[in-house]
Amino acid sequence: MTFRTRILVGFGVIVLVPLALFGVRVRTEMASRLTAEYEGRVAALAAVIRADLTRDGAAIARRLNALTDAIAADNRFRAAVLQGSDRTYLLDYAGGAMHFAGLSMLQIQDDQGRIVSSGHFRNEYDRLEPGLPRALAAAQGGIALIQTRTPEGPVLAIARLDSLRLAGRRFTLVGGIALDSTYLAELTPDSELSVVVRLPTDSLPAATSAGAVLSEVSLPFVLESDSGSALRPARIVVSHSLGSLTALRRGVDVAFLAAVLLAGTIALLLGGWLSLRISRPLTALARKTAQIDMDRLNVSFDSERADEIGALTRLLGSMTERLRAGAAKLREAERRIAMGDLARQVNHDIKNGLTPIRNVFRHFTETAATEPDRLTTVFRERQGTVEASISYLENLAGNYARLYPAPAREPCDVRQVIRETLGRLGATGTPDLRADLAEDLPLVCTDQLVLRRILENLIGNAVDSLEARPGTVTISAMAGAPANGRLGVRIIVADTGKGMTRTELDRAFDDFYSTKPGGTGLGLSIVRRLVLDANGVLRVETQPGAGSRFIVDLPGA
Amino acid sequence: MISARRPLLLAVLLTVACRAGPPGLPAPAAPELPTPGAAPSDTACRIAPGPASKRDTVAVALAEPIDPTHAPSPRNDAERFVFAALYETLIRLDCAGRVLPGLAQSWEAGGDRWTFTLRDDARFWDGAPVTARDVVAAWRARDSAFAQSATVLSDRMIGVRPPAAPFQPLADPALAVTKRAPGGDWPIGTGSHWVSETDAAGVLSAVPVRRGALPVLRVATVPAGRTRDAVDEGSDLVITGDPAVLEYAATRPGFVDVALDWNRTYVLLAPGHPDGLADIRRESLRDAVHLDARPAEWSGGRFWLADLQACGFPTTRDTAVSAPRRQRVVYDQSDRNAADLAARLVGLGTLGNRSAATGLAPAVFAAALRAGGDAAYVLPLRRRVFDVCRAALELPPWSWTGTVEPLLDVRPHALVRRGLPPLQVDWDGTPRISPR
Repeated sequence: MTFRTRILVGFGVIVLVPLALFGVRVRTEMASRLTAEYEGRVAALAAVIRADLTRDGAAIARRLNALTDAIAADNRFRAAVLQGSDRTYLLDYAGGAMHFAGLSMLQIQDDQGRIVSSGHFRNEYDRLEPGLPRALAAAQGGIALIQTRTPEGPVLAIARLDSLRLAGRRFTLVGGIALDSTYLAELTPDSELSVVVRLPTDSLPAATSAGAVLSEVSLPFVLESDSGSALRPARIVVSHSLGSLTALRRGVDVAFLAAVLLAGTIALLLGGWLSLRISRPLTALARKTAQIDMDRLNVSFDSERADEIGALTRLLGSMTERLRAGAAKLREAERRIAMGDLARQVNHDIKNGLTPIRNVFRHFTETAATEPDRLTTVFRERQGTVEASISYLENLAGNYARLYPAPAREPCDVRQVIRETLGRLGATGTPDLRADLAEDLPLVCTDQLVLRRILENLIGNAVDSLEARPGTVTISAMAGAPANGRLGVRIIVADTGKGMTRTELDRAFDDFYSTKPGGTGLGLSIVRRLVLDANGVLRVETQPGAGSRFIVDLPGA
Repeated sequence: MISARRPLLLAVLLTVACRAGPPGLPAPAAPELPTPGAAPSDTACRIAPGPASKRDTVAVALAEPIDPTHAPSPRNDAERFVFAALYETLIRLDCAGRVLPGLAQSWEAGGDRWTFTLRDDARFWDGAPVTARDVVAAWRARDSAFAQSATVLSDRMIGVRPPAAPFQPLADPALAVTKRAPGGDWPIGTGSHWVSETDAAGVLSAVPVRRGALPVLRVATVPAGRTRDAVDEGSDLVITGDPAVLEYAATRPGFVDVALDWNRTYVLLAPGHPDGLADIRRESLRDAVHLDARPAEWSGGRFWLADLQACGFPTTRDTAVSAPRRQRVVYDQSDRNAADLAARLVGLGTLGNRSAATGLAPAVFAAALRAGGDAAYVLPLRRRVFDVCRAALELPPWSWTGTVEPLLDVRPHALVRRGLPPLQVDWDGTPRISPR
């Protein structure tokens, strides 16, 4: 895991974990408080319903009592019910009485339980329903919920029983008010609360508390069509939907999610910015450090920062400086060892060639001193040895000469070689290299490898002359002066480095002369030899402190 | 033209008319063409409440709605009264079943056809003379079988091949001669009155075509609860069946209560043959409605809708029987008596204790009746029809093979103000203003 990633993860954890804990706590507290509030409202409404039932039961009792008085005083009713006259009046009586009394149902039965008049179902006359008054008489408080028939279907009503006697016959009145959707709707002050009636005959499963807060009001129930008309408990279920709580939770969740996203985004941006501030100099430092090797120790590690990164940069710069000094010493030692080895090898090889010759000359000397007449004979005898030794030395010279093979001479495109060279040097991180190459340069007659070595040496020296300070190295190529009827090419390698003093300029092309720590002192001497081998001319223009210009004129191909 | 065999034909007519109960309608196997029946002085079908005083306008109050789009085929007592004044058929039948001239002033039987001659002065309201082609065109517009059997013999003569059914359908209002009125609601007829206007209060003014012969009719449709107000507010003729109104009118010496014919029968129609159809206790149904009613009566052993073997209708295929039924008794919610009867049937548990009565808007009820998707339907039918097969075609096909339970016969009453011009009562109990 990168340092930057760690910073980002750290920021995320620091921001998101407290937010998550806060959100969970808010949700829990909110659910707890609202549920308690709902429970209170449900309980209050259940109490109101109980009070309403009691009040309605009393109102029904009063109205039925008034109706019994009215019936007792109604001669037309008496005649109809006792003598069978005016049947239409009797059948319509309960309908009118029911409406005048403000009831929703009214049923008048005779002493046999036969319906003689019904307000809510006029044409159910003559049907026997003796069980209904009996069940209502047994109901606690005299009030019960009944399911009675109408032409359009069954309806629920809160009903009571009353009775009167006419000519010794007992007539019962069952009256009530409808417990319908209107009645229930008036009980519910808002849409969150709902009131439903659960009958013992319902096939639907009982309501559970999942998704709602419940409370119940129980009251006796009679099914009119039930032959036994037994009392069974019915329930008025008050429920408060948890929909608002769910909606509130959803709202909080959305807000919380938005907060998390916002905080997370801010944390990521902040962490990214911070990590970038920290990791960018480290990355640059790592990139610079990666450039360092034994052949490239001129990497600068300057920093003005006063923090740890600045200290680390300076430390790396100091280390690089020590490495640079050590590398110079190492190269010097290697050069010395290589030169010593070469000298010893040359010494050994020459000695091997000179020793027979010296022996032959010693023999000649001794013979000339002791046997002058045999000198010719000895010369002939030893001539082969001398010639063999000379041949050996010539071979030896040829072998050493083959250590530097003869360059090829072929048309060469200066622009292409310069570009390739710059590309290669540029790829190694050499800064401030500029090229100014004229178009349509003629080809030159030299080996591309030779030209490349010339350029590499001159550009390398120019870069070194900058001594890691800001400056530029410019390589220019232009048409040169004509020679032998052909246009040549002029290559100029100019730098803004330290330049050379007159003394340094005089010795610049000497073998083994170098002003650079660890330099071999062979670079410019090789360049000069290569330019001469290419039939070219090498010139130098320099000014101490201002830079140098190395001018190479090469003949055209 | 009056045939010389008039006494014989009249006897045949009376025999046939009595077949379906009072006043009785014939169903002869080989119909013959009777001669014109009642003489102008005959008072058998006349309502004359006291000496008539001259009246230019007669105010009529009807308890049922009048829809011009139904013309000339009435669907209730109110439309029957109004359409009888506006439209004419070739012949008329009076309450005794006697044939009277209508658009045709004479007729005769000859060869294989009857020949009807139109009245010389027969004209549409717009003054155009009524031709034989107009008669056939009107019949054809209603897809009448008579149109196919009719031949135009001349401008004023029509030949009709006698159908197997009796001739009385020629008096059916559905065969009244009309023509389309451009841009008008009411088809143009040939009756004694034409509709001059319907005012903002919905009062219809029917003006006599020949001024002076008949009074102007101002016909108001009053809600059921306001019929007594109509009695008190100067109506001359109130047609109603509400016992409360009749009871109140009995306290008004200026009115005469005339019971008209038992002209409708409320029936229970059930697709197929439901199991467990409980006893409908027909005698108890009369108390269920607020109308002059009696337990349904019919002649010939079966109610006409249950006796369709001769019609050749399919008897084995019942497309509605297999469909699941809603356990409800359905009725037209604009018909209070149908609602009362449906409620009574539910109260009796006729279709089981779980059934319910459901009232539907008229158009919805008509669609439900066609579909036959409910357990049963309560609706009024004409108590008597001349051509049972043609009448059965007005009902959904499932009713031809379903269960038909006649429940109640009902009849309207005419509350007639004393001094009103005499009224003639047609075969179907429809009163009409007689010429002075």
